[in-house]
Amino acid sequence: MKNGLMFIKLANPCSGEGALYLFNMCLQQLFEIKVFKEKHHSWFINQSVQSGGLLHFATPMDPLFLLLHYLIKAGKEGKFQPLDQVVVDDAFPNCILLLKLPELEKLLWHVTEEKEIDKKKYYKYSKEKTLKWLEKKVNQTIAALKTNKVNVGARVQSTAVFSGDQVSSDKEEDYIRYAHGLISEYIPKELSDALSKYLKLPEPSPSLPNPPSKKIKLSDEPVEAKEDYTKFNTKDLKTGKKNSKMTAAQKALAKVDKSGMKSIDAFFGAKNKKKIGKI
Amino acid sequence: MEGRDGATVEKHRVHLRPATLRDAAPATLHLLPCEISVNRPAPVERFFTPAIRRGPDGLEVSFRGRRLRGEDVMVPSGLVGYVMTMEEKGEVLMGKQEALERDSDCFMEATASFNRFTLWGLEAIPGSDAKMRGALTWPSLAAAIHSQVPED
Repeated sequence: MKNGLMFIKLANPCSGEGALYLFNMCLQQLFEIKVFKEKHHSWFINQSVQSGGLLHFATPMDPLFLLLHYLIKAGKEGKFQPLDQVVVDDAFPNCILLLKLPELEKLLWHVTEEKEIDKKKYYKYSKEKTLKWLEKKVNQTIAALKTNKVNVGARVQSTAVFSGDQVSSDKEEDYIRYAHGLISEYIPKELSDALSKYLKLPEPSPSLPNPPSKKIKLSDEPVEAKEDYTKFNTKDLKTGKKNSKMTAAQKALAKVDKSGMKSIDAFFGAKNKKKIGKI
Repeated sequence: MEGRDGATVEKHRVHLRPATLRDAAPATLHLLPCEISVNRPAPVERFFTPAIRRGPDGLEVSFRGRRLRGEDVMVPSGLVGYVMTMEEKGEVLMGKQEALERDSDCFMEATASFNRFTLWGLEAIPGSDAKMRGALTWPSLAAAIHSQVPED
């Protein structure tokens, strides 16, 4: 099976922990796997039931984010090195597959200085070039946020305040901040902070919630859902009212749904705990 | 590259049988707004499917006596939905010893495909701010984040 598709574990470039990726050996393409996971969901698949209600997404991944993880590490030594000495990982030996990707040199050009000695290429991480590259990533992400009409306003990110008017006047700064948040899921914290300064993003004021982060996500479980669900039961049994405009259950659901609107990544659960699930 | 460490590298890989992606038969999927904590066959066709009613605005059904409302959701364009399962190792056919040796070869296969599923909500159709709907916009955002940037 040298010429097929396979799931491999590689170091997540943001956290350094293992994450699942799909590698296409024929086309030499890399995909990341993200999981949609929300409490209280299950699937009916044909004539069977599958608990959890997970939905996995395989989307194309820029391998440069993964290479960057190793380049930054090697860059701390401050010298030019051949790539096969940079991309080395005992914990995730499959990282050598990254070296087989096509047009690697073209990719590396964005984030490294290079030297050629005796027809062998040597690379060194360049923070300046990387920040320029990341700025372009932020800009093309902003364009996609606008085309997809993603609501990026700070209002949406607030779970505490939930007033009636949702008329959002999304400012350019909100877009930059949101896009920065998305890109930050693929780079180490240190670089994310540097990028924030590079983009001249002001420090978030204390009244605003923190930018999307892993920590928020973990505490993001809709804890109220269960209670309200049972509340609805009793109410429904007593009154038998079925067509009221907004039942307790609906309200609970509305609350649950909206509290998750932090960043795209908050739409997915935490890290893949199960190695491979169904779907 | 797979010299002496070939076996250890292999252990971290789960192969997907490409032929199963081509042959996967279409499946009917429903995403329910409740947790059913088992994985097993269920007579969906007998109890659930015949109870689905098409109302003026969306679908209606009841499950365990509760009213659900839903609508069909398309898989984002350019994507295909697959139901995948881990292949059984076939310990019956192989001897125990052999099974241990072959432990490193993991295979997955697509058992079904889909290009839509029915998204159900309790009492109301999950609105535009439902998490699942957000998740379905992810592929288009991911494309922007991960596509190559133009050179200067």
